[in-house]
Amino acid sequence: MSEPTSETSTNAEENLAYIRETMETASGFTAVSGWGLVGVGILGLAAAVATYMRPGGPADPIIWIPTAVLSIALSTTATARKVRQLEIPLWSGSFRKLAWVMIPALVAGGMLTLALGNAGAGLLIPGTWLALYGAAVAAGGTQSARDFRWMGICFLGLGAVSFFRPEFNVLLLGVGFGGLHIAFGIRVARKYGG
Amino acid sequence: MDRPPRDDLDRVIHERIRLGIVSALAANDALTFADLKEILQATDGNLSVHARKLEEAGYVTVTKGYQSKKPRTEFRLSPKGRKALEAYLGQMESILESTRKALGKNR
Repeated sequence: MSEPTSETSTNAEENLAYIRETMETASGFTAVSGWGLVGVGILGLAAAVATYMRPGGPADPIIWIPTAVLSIALSTTATARKVRQLEIPLWSGSFRKLAWVMIPALVAGGMLTLALGNAGAGLLIPGTWLALYGAAVAAGGTQSARDFRWMGICFLGLGAVSFFRPEFNVLLLGVGFGGLHIAFGIRVARKYGG
Repeated sequence: MDRPPRDDLDRVIHERIRLGIVSALAANDALTFADLKEILQATDGNLSVHARKLEEAGYVTVTKGYQSKKPRTEFRLSPKGRKALEAYLGQMESILESTRKALGKNR
């Protein structure tokens, strides 16, 4: 039997790499937990209600910082559980890409929050959160299900409304971090099995 | 087997888009036509043609239905398709193994 040519071997390597990349992309596509998002939405709604009832303003850090921390923990845990069921590594190529496209906008949101707080422009903080979170999610949607792009665009829209109508800030935060997460979470869970 | 002749390769999945469809489905319970199009960056026509070939070979099962009044086509990898992908992976690995051996002999 003749020996394999370097061309055959290169093709085999390329095919194996293509299979691996496609499987990683496909698993990242569906691995984000929809039920985790629903949980994040419930936390968001609770935070919006608490904000409405407290006199600390719409971007009250006593409410929203713990909410953000709990939300990250909840969505990460739920996604890790789904990923385990799918038997794919959590830190696969698609998740790395997802992190890289989302984190810059989130970090920018954190920096702007500090800057606006120091400048006494607290009314602009909810719009900044909604718009930059929306930018992060829409960018993340390029590495995951198309639904996330639409969710990001909806957040951007709410952010735009917040900048021009800050009197509705608490309502917009509730609709965004509560309502949108719940609605898209249910959609993703139904479409992609959890 | 030193090296599987190229004629031994499963021609149904030894094609870029079809290999992509089978690989994507191996990582998921089910994917819709729109999902596959997005993952593989394929056109509607191209994807339809190759998905049909896989369906005819019994490698994927297709469920057609409606979601929110819009047609929805869902694909799943069949046990035959999974077996074919595993066999194909084995063939690719054996080609690489043969190459490594040949390199060792020629040193």
